[in-house]
Amino acid sequence: MSRTGCVWCPDWPVIAARKHADGLGTELRNRPLIVRERVGSRDIVRAASAEARATGVTRGMRRREAEARCPEAVCVDADEANEARTFEVVARAVEVFTPRVVLDRPGRCEFPTRGPSRYFGGDDALASQIRAGVATALGPDGADVRIGIADGVFVARLAARRSVVVPAGGSAEYVAPWPVSVLDDDELASLLVRLGLPTLGDVAALAPDAVLARFGRVGGRIHALSRGVDPGPSVFVAPPPDLVERTELDPPAERVDIAAFAAKELADRLLARCAERGLACTRVRVVAETEHGERLTRCWRHARSEYGDALTPSVLAERVRWQLDAWITTGETTAGITGLTLIPDEVVPADGRQLGFWGGDQVAHQRADRALARVQGMLGYDAVTTAVVQGGRTPAEQVRWVPWGEPREPELPLFVGPEVAAWPGALPPPFPARVFDPPLPAELLDANDDAIAVNGRGEQLCPPAYVRCRALPAGGGAVRAWAGPWAHDVRWWDVQAHRRCARWQLVVGADEAQRSGARGSHRVGADEAQRSGARGSHGDDVACIVVVEGGRAGVEAIYD
Amino acid sequence: MLAGARLLAVAGPIGQLLPAGGIQRGSTVALDGPTGAGSTTVALLLAAATTSVGEWAAVVDPDGTLGARAAAEIGVDLERCAIVRSVPPDRWPKVVGALLDGVTLVAAAVPPSLRPGDARRLAARARERATVLVTLGPWPVEATLRLHAQGRDWSGLATGGGLLAESELDVRVEGKGVRAHARAG
Repeated sequence: MSRTGCVWCPDWPVIAARKHADGLGTELRNRPLIVRERVGSRDIVRAASAEARATGVTRGMRRREAEARCPEAVCVDADEANEARTFEVVARAVEVFTPRVVLDRPGRCEFPTRGPSRYFGGDDALASQIRAGVATALGPDGADVRIGIADGVFVARLAARRSVVVPAGGSAEYVAPWPVSVLDDDELASLLVRLGLPTLGDVAALAPDAVLARFGRVGGRIHALSRGVDPGPSVFVAPPPDLVERTELDPPAERVDIAAFAAKELADRLLARCAERGLACTRVRVVAETEHGERLTRCWRHARSEYGDALTPSVLAERVRWQLDAWITTGETTAGITGLTLIPDEVVPADGRQLGFWGGDQVAHQRADRALARVQGMLGYDAVTTAVVQGGRTPAEQVRWVPWGEPREPELPLFVGPEVAAWPGALPPPFPARVFDPPLPAELLDANDDAIAVNGRGEQLCPPAYVRCRALPAGGGAVRAWAGPWAHDVRWWDVQAHRRCARWQLVVGADEAQRSGARGSHRVGADEAQRSGARGSHGDDVACIVVVEGGRAGVEAIYD
Repeated sequence: MLAGARLLAVAGPIGQLLPAGGIQRGSTVALDGPTGAGSTTVALLLAAATTSVGEWAAVVDPDGTLGARAAAEIGVDLERCAIVRSVPPDRWPKVVGALLDGVTLVAAAVPPSLRPGDARRLAARARERATVLVTLGPWPVEATLRLHAQGRDWSGLATGGGLLAESELDVRVEGKGVRAHARAG
């Protein structure tokens, strides 16, 4: 695993907001500051200054609560473009020491340290030199700059939090005491804590196959990270050399918005071409050329690339926009931008996560969405549905109808428990194509035309001989074959939901009388007779499921 | 659009009955047959052919009786298949028309009160939008293909035991370029 250095400026949104305010002539320097952002419909704290944090404001807290705790704080909106622009100074200072700087978000960047460490006399010397360089670049009121060097990106980021150099091979020891919340997945972290695994060391102590079995592929990754091993891209694929997207800007773009518009198209095109080859892109190099022949380049990656998350067109376009903005506003470009190139730096096999972001697919998706939304407008929101297969015994129970556009989640689990593969008593495949909920009234009769009854032990007294129901062709007929009754006594603990019923699977033919009369004439011909003779049936079977509940019979499903 | 791209290839024995092994976009396929003879299964097979190439399908099911488990078993990607339930007969043509604008295949159970004029308009709309319209039930006007589900033989279930295992569908296909009436498992 390659030695990696990480430069991290804590509370970067706060620093960027203060610098921005300085430019506008307002004074935010000595006042507590809260940077807020909107995530979905929630208004939360993105970052807070040290003074605000001292009063108990934390990241991710609701803005209203934060303001209540620290009423004297100034609250500003997050401006990611500004954060990226301000961070360009830091990136440039690091670039003095190594050209291979990779940004993953404003406030944090990484670089491989093998070469520069040798040149500058070891990891510690390199770290202190870079810190000095960055501090000079940021100016006298500079921010807190932390540098960590360790094996792999994940450990380097943790090392940067404490500004330490983790010796080669010491990763496992270093990461063990960290809480699982550093895995950057709140839901997973809360689950691990509830499972009694509060630190990465606890997770690392588990058997890898057990974690993999419980959490799937993500489990494999978190176990590797907990051991201080950076899994990196799951499968390394060399980016195909021809997979480069380039565009000429004529006239040269002097303003960010014009260049960013071109960048958006470029990002879409690049990722669409990657997708065509079954690849997803996790790291991209952005190259800009100007009229004066300057050539600027910077590398960006997905902030969660260690979890295998790939760049999407919108995320990539946003990063390219930030970068162009930074170059143009900090005066690194002395003339208009004439050429823009995106080069994939690290690609992984696409695992289908990007489905729905591909160009053509997205257009079709939007078209379908629009049409279905129109139908929802005509008939009501619930009228347009998608089906979600879920656990259950009866065909009606096994499907949940979710209104179009809502998350497709089953209500009942597909599997009852780890030992029981399927629901006991569930109907096995093939499944019926027509399901009636509630069942259609029917009559299930024995040979003497009496209704079939089931005794308390779930046994029938006579085998079924006839079924009558309006949904069946010719109103029903003789039972040619049958299996059952399968007695179901479900949810006996719940007075409301308790059901006691018996089911039969039946194959029904037309009535004997009808068959001999109406059908005699057309069922001639040697092959017809042979076929029906050989198979013992007449090609007009109807298979169905009949349920008897509370003495009343009903057709629950037809295999159409 | 190239000729090859206009064809939705249908897998399995049903596909072999169809001209060129599939259904041309823009065509109208009228399906009928008595209950239990397998017309729903054939409609779902056509929907599966659509979703398996990554396109969207919609099923208009006014009675709300479609078995989604069966659809999934036949190969329909339920994420790409919208099922429109509880459609009043008088709004049926409008709903089907709106769906024809948005998805690649619309399978719709025809209400008995459908007027031939509306049916013709929908067929024309499908042609114009290069969408497949599959109708279930009596279709009052001409169609590109007519599929009659004539009956179904079930095996596996005995008298007092066994379970339904397999069935053989008897489907007759009418239309241009159709080879013959055939049976498919």
